[in-house]
Parts: sequence; C-alpha cells; structure tokens
Amino acid sequence: MTLLFLFLIPLIGACALQVLPPGSTWVRRLALATALAQLGTALLDWRNPPAQLTLSWLPKIGLQLDLGLDGLSLPLVLLGALITAMTVLATPIDQKRSRLFYGLVLATNMGLMGSFLARNALLFMLAYELILIPTTLLVAIWGGERRAGAAIRFLTYNAVSGLALLAAVLGFGWLNPGGFDFSFATLAQHNLSLEEQHWILALVLLAFGIKLPIVPLHGWQPLTYSQAPTPVAMLLSGAVSKLGAYGLLRFGIEFLPDAWSEWSAWIAAVGAVSAIYGALNAIAQLDMRRLVAYSSLGHMGFLVLALAAATPLSLQGVMAQILAHGLIIALLFCLVGLIETKTGTSEIPELSGLLNAQRGLPFTMGLMLLALMAAAGVPGQAGFVAELLVFEGSWVAYPIPTLVCLVSSGFTAVYAVRLFNRVGFGRLDNAKANWASTSWGERAPALVLTALVLVGGIWPTLLTGWSESDTAPLALRSSDAVTVIAAAPQTSTSELSA
Amino acid sequence: MTTTTAPERATAPLIPPSTHRYADVIHRLEAGGSMLPDTPENLKQIIGIYKAYAVPMDFYWRDLLYIAEKVFLNPLPAFKYFISKEYLDRPNSYAGDQSQLRIWRGTDKAHPELLEFMEKGEAGKMPKLLHHLWHDRVNMEFAEACMQAMLWHQGMGGRFNDYLESDAYKANADRAIKAYFKRNPLMLGLYKLFPEMLLEQVRQMSYYANLGLFWEVMAPVFFEMSDIYDEGGFKGVPDAMDFLVNGIFAVAGRPIYHHVYIGDECFEIIPKSEGFNWLYEAALPYVEAVFYRTSPFRGTKSYNAQAGQVPADQADFHYGILYADVFPVGSAGIPPTLLMQDMLHFLPPYLKEIYKEHRRGEEDELIQLGITFQRSMYNVTSAVIQALRCALLYPLDDTDPKHLQANRAFFEAQMDRFLRPEARLPDVQTQDYR
Repeated sequence: MTLLFLFLIPLIGACALQVLPPGSTWVRRLALATALAQLGTALLDWRNPPAQLTLSWLPKIGLQLDLGLDGLSLPLVLLGALITAMTVLATPIDQKRSRLFYGLVLATNMGLMGSFLARNALLFMLAYELILIPTTLLVAIWGGERRAGAAIRFLTYNAVSGLALLAAVLGFGWLNPGGFDFSFATLAQHNLSLEEQHWILALVLLAFGIKLPIVPLHGWQPLTYSQAPTPVAMLLSGAVSKLGAYGLLRFGIEFLPDAWSEWSAWIAAVGAVSAIYGALNAIAQLDMRRLVAYSSLGHMGFLVLALAAATPLSLQGVMAQILAHGLIIALLFCLVGLIETKTGTSEIPELSGLLNAQRGLPFTMGLMLLALMAAAGVPGQAGFVAELLVFEGSWVAYPIPTLVCLVSSGFTAVYAVRLFNRVGFGRLDNAKANWASTSWGERAPALVLTALVLVGGIWPTLLTGWSESDTAPLALRSSDAVTVIAAAPQTSTSELSA
Repeated sequence: MTTTTAPERATAPLIPPSTHRYADVIHRLEAGGSMLPDTPENLKQIIGIYKAYAVPMDFYWRDLLYIAEKVFLNPLPAFKYFISKEYLDRPNSYAGDQSQLRIWRGTDKAHPELLEFMEKGEAGKMPKLLHHLWHDRVNMEFAEACMQAMLWHQGMGGRFNDYLESDAYKANADRAIKAYFKRNPLMLGLYKLFPEMLLEQVRQMSYYANLGLFWEVMAPVFFEMSDIYDEGGFKGVPDAMDFLVNGIFAVAGRPIYHHVYIGDECFEIIPKSEGFNWLYEAALPYVEAVFYRTSPFRGTKSYNAQAGQVPADQADFHYGILYADVFPVGSAGIPPTLLMQDMLHFLPPYLKEIYKEHRRGEEDELIQLGITFQRSMYNVTSAVIQALRCALLYPLDDTDPKHLQANRAFFEAQMDRFLRPEARLPDVQTQDYR
C-alpha cells in the first residue's frame, strides 16, 4: 500500500490545500508536510522494498494500476520526492495564489511518481501526460516577463513528446502479438521485428529526447528554464527532465535493445553534439538562468552518451548522472533564484562583487562555488563520480564521442569560472547593493542540496548503490570490450565480468 | 573655544559661475561651506564619527609618542603597544588643567571610555597580554600605517623632511643611538657597519612623534565638537567645518619636535627650537599622505603596477580615504578596516540608530561606518582647504573680483584632484551613499 500512498499522497495534499483559507500560512506548511511525508515513505520503501501492486482499472484497453519499485525507479522516486520538498522550501513565503501554486507542484509530483512507479506503459503514459498541464500552468501564471511564449513553447514541445509516447505505447500494443497488454514484463519480452522496433524507437527517442532534452529537440528548454519561477525551474530541471532519461533507459534499452544497439552510434553522436553545443552556448550566455539551462543541456549529452554505450559501467553512470545532475541543477537554479530575488537580476554583466562579506551574498556565493565545482566535475562532489562513470563506461564503446564529451566537460569549467569570477568578484556597486542578506529559511533548500552533492561525492554508493543490480542486466555491451550482447539482455553481471 | 560663522557668499554678482564639473561644490566652498552638503543627517553622522574616532585617537597619540620617545630603537619591540602608565596618564597639551596651552575644554586625562575598553575590551576583563593576543584592543597598526604613509611619501611641503637629512639631525640621532645601545656592542657594531640602518629607524621614530603630536591636538578637538553637538551648538555642517578651521589656526604654530628619553637623559633629536610648526610640518603632510595618497598595496584590493594601474609618480597616488572604495573590498588606501573596528566600539547611540535604519542594519555597520568616516574626512579636508585659502589668498567676502577669481582658481585646483573616477566626492553629495 505504500506504493499507492506514494502515488496518491500528493493528490490528497493538493486537495487538502484547496480547503484552507487563501493566504493562510498553513498552505505552505501542508505542502511541505505532504512532500516530506512522501519522501519519508520513499525512504521506508528503500529499507523495505514493497511488493508490486496490481489493481485492475480498464482491463479492456490494457490499463492497470500496476505499481512497483526497482533499482531504476527507486532512486528517481527519492529524487522526485526530494526535489519536490526542496521546491516547496524554495518558494517564497509570500507566494501569490499559494494554494493553486502548491497544488500544481503537488500535481506535477503526482505525475512524476506515477511515471516512476508505473509498471504498465499505458499508466506511465497517462502519468507522463499529467505532468504537462500543471507545469505549463506554473510557467504561464508565475513565470517571468516572457512567460506566455515560454509556456506555449513548453506546451507545444511536450505535447509532441506526449503524442510520440502515446504512439510508441500504442505501437507496442498493436504490433505485439500479445495484444493490449502494456505491462512492462510483457513489453520486455515482445516479439517485434527489428523494423518495428526501429519505428517505435524513433518515437521513443522523439518523446524522451524532448523531455530530457537533447539537441535538436531542446528548443523549449532555455526559454522555459529562464522564464519559470525558481522553484518551478528546480522541479523541471531537477526531477521532470529526468523522466526523459528514465524513459530512454526503460523503453529504449530495456524494451528495444536490438534497435537501440543498431542506432546507438548515432545516439552517442547526438549526445556528444548536445554536450558540446550546451557547453559552448553556456559560455556565451549573459543570463545566469540561461547559462544554467544550457549547462543542463550539456550534461544531458553525457547521459545520452552513456545510454548509447550501454555498458554496465556506463549504465551505472546514467543512474549516477541522473541523481547527481538532478541535485546539482536544482541547487544551481535555487542559488540563481536566490541571487535574482535579492539583486533583482540574473544578468551577469549587471552583477559583480557578490562575495563581499558585508553587503554581498557571501553565503550564497560560497554555495554557488561548490555547485559550480560539482557541475564542472571537480573530485569530491557528486558530479565527478557520475561523469567518471559515464566517461569510463562509454570509452570502450564510443571513444570519439566520449572524447568530445570530455572536452565539453572542460568547457564546463570555463563557464563555471566565468560566472563565478564575474558575479562573485569585482566591485559591488553601492548604488545597487541595497538588498537584505539571505535568511536561514531561504538558504535551507540550497544547504540540503549542497550537503547531498558533497555526500554523493565522498560516498558514491549513494549514487550507484540503488541500481547496480538492475542496470547490469540491461547492458548491451561489456565494459571491457566492444562486444554487443544485445541478444542476451538478461545476462548476469557475473557472466559479463567473465 | 568659540566658533566663528563664515560670511555669506557674496561672489555671485562679482564673478560668473564656475563651469567646473564640481561647480556646485565650488560655489558651496565660496559661500563658506564644506565639500559635504549641509544636511542634518550629514552633521549627525560626521559629529558622531568624530566622537568615535577621538577615543581611539586618544590612545594613538599617546602610544605614538611612547614609541617615539621611550621604545625608540628597541630591536624587538613586541610590547610597543603596551603603553606605560606614564604615557597613558600624560596630560594633553591642549586640554585640561595641566595643559601647556589650554584651548579646548576637555580633560587632560585619557578618555574614560578608552580606559574602560582597554580594561575589558570586547571579550571582558582579562590580562593585558591576552587582550593583545586576541586582538581585543585598539588597533595601533592603523596609526602606524598612517605614520608610514607620511614617512614614505615625504616631500609634501614644509621643512621637516629635509631636516631629517641634515647634519644637525644626524648628529642628534647619532648621540641618541649611541646612548641607547651603549651596553649593546652587537648593535653598536652593526651601527658601525651600517650607519644608515639605525638612522633610518630614527627618522621613522621622528614621524611617530610627528603624528603623535598632530593627533594630540585633534583628539580633544573632536571630543569638544561632540560635546558641542550634544549641547545643540552646531546648526549645520559649515559650523562644524568652521570650528575645525578655527582650531587649525589656534594651534597652527604649536611645535613639532622629537625628544627621546634614554635613562634619565632627554635627547632632543628634533628640538623645539628648530621651529617646526603643527600646521605645515604635521597637519598638511598628514592630510596629503593619508587622505589623498597613501599607498596602493594595503587591504584586499590588488593593483598591477606593471599594467600601469599604479602611477609612476608618488604625487599622483590616490589611495587615501577620499578615494577609498570602502564598500566593495572593506579596505583600500589606508587600512580603514582597522580604524572602523576601533570606532565601532565607541559609536554614539544616535549613530547606531542611523545605521540600524539603513541597509542591513547592524550586519553591515562597519561599511556604513566607513562611509560616514569618508564623509567626515571630506569635511576635515574642506576645513584644511578653507584654512589654506584663508592663509594664502583672500577672504570670501572680498569685493575685488580679481581676488575672488584667485579664490575660485584655488578651489577649482583643489577640486581637480577629485576629477578622477575613484574620488568619492560625487558619492558623498547624496545621502543614498551608505
């Protein structure tokens, strides 16, 4: 029942919020309590994994409330619950129309949980679609000056993503001789021809490529991330985008291994292009939010490379990168949001000297330094562990794209140093620096995320321990030789190492 | 001491308005005003900071004289900040019953707030050594930095610096050195080998004495200004400036000397009879060295001399408090962070209230205090400019246009020094600069 609780508690919380009087301080408290209750439940599930839950819903069309947790979904459930809690914490106390805001955040969370917990492709698709509405509204109502354009672009791209996913799921149903059975267990053992797999994989790549996003499907991302309110940007980048990686892992590698193996060289190339494109664009940005957005695009490129390589090590890298990037990008947006709230701008040329101990934002900038170091893959932080696994795991399969990603990782340091140097150092303008210092309440989400990024760096099991046993069987190649083992996706780790 | 009110500006009809970038400031100076705008808050800020400055200054001048006259050439002067009781109780020459020339109304003793702070500090009552090691004390390093600025720049007018190279000075210093090290053959041997080394140290000691004697005047001036303000005596910033101008003239001729006490004997390294006076040999060089010039390598801001960020000519240096970027780096030019910390202990309540109401309140008190100090130093510099104009040129109410034009040229030349972008003169014109 804890699985159902994980799925439904945001719905219960969102409904309860609407009963409270408008503007009540309890709205935020209740939203936070809901998110924390979900996080606590997910942690309990980690200690005692619950059995799969199957409830019949619309059996005629193959829709069942099929919920379960495995090594791939558990870390994402935890990440989703954590980022949601941090999103609530990072929301200003005086948030306007707070009931609707938190209600939509919790609705997004419900969609996330539904997607991660689903053991049925149709249920996954429904939950996936559920996310689109609240996130679009969050951007459209509370976004920046260009929120309307951002929301429309976000909606358009993600509607295409949803349609592509729907087509892919229906394709599974129609083409699979088993009929309308969308359970993951059935999909993993389909008898689709290679050509049929190619068609479905194309749709899957389109759907999740938009969600991640990857070049050239990223058109919605920089604008949306720069216009979304800070907490929403944290939620979108830290948790929602990870659905793309999860989808590729689940639908691409697990369900369509043969087609994936055939296309993987191209996928790796797209990953490398995304990485270098994201990093170079990040260097050119004059707005911190857009810089972080392009940085995210670059890091998604690493993920795609590791997915394409699909070695046991690279797949561990995928899970590590999902978690590390989720934490780091949410932290970066949180800090950029804090700076923007205080200074009134996220434009890099307008900011300088924020490290000033008396009038700047030294604490925020201190955390920013750690976050940028983590994003740049500096050892001792979660980003290093994830990138090391990605590059080491991908090298044997695709050395040239891996090299390109390594170069783009170097560029990460360039824009990190550039951002920190321009914003942190230099002269703090007295005429503009008329803002209050950050309170501990405002710092709290950033502190929690920073602590986890550091713990992930010195205790990498936090990033890989959950999924090691579940990613190894999905590997399509061995880690030490370019041997395609797609025909035997269930190969055990011991066999692979032998 | 009584104050005189500056005459009302009478120049407007006689000469055309200035076209200088700081024309407003120049017209204000011509009207007998200060570079600092005359607002009630400016008055409150500068008087409040004078009071907070005067208390540590009461220690600075005593300890500077103690070092110059008693510590002298001690090769390991680890305890030079542990001022002797004799110097702590040394009567001020210009205030109190025992003063040689009573000009100001204060007492001749060390200020009670200073004595209390020396005993308790921030950490509470504990042995003096622990206060020192914990840095819970008056920052004499600030005073020494000011002295070093004067020593290093030299050549800022007057005869004092030239005298330090004279044979008479060298002979006096030689006697003192030999007397000080008469039981120390090692140091005497070193002196024989490197005669300039100890001589240069003695010159530095002479600047200790110079600055000590300068501040001996200024401390009671600032105390009295604070008292007058508390009694409702000053009506505006020009009143405060006029008080300083009058004070400058009252003590302008007081002697600057350097006596050293070795055993029971007094060595007059710079005798009073040389006729060095307070205004030309101490006050003006001090203002030039500390307010305008100092050196670029203080504090946390770094300059690249090879990239031309430091002028080749020392006279072009502009790192003093009038240019200091107190805000971003916390220190520049002279190390005002040390002084700010000293002043923080003695802020009058009304100044604390102002700081609480603005910016980050108590969190960034040091920055607000530093900017107040900058304002107050613009007022002191205004007093010096007016005193120089008074001494060298014409009265403000002169009716001869040529004379007024000469005054104008003088004021414009002074304002030219603030045309460089680092100058804080435009900033202090508004109250938003905090």
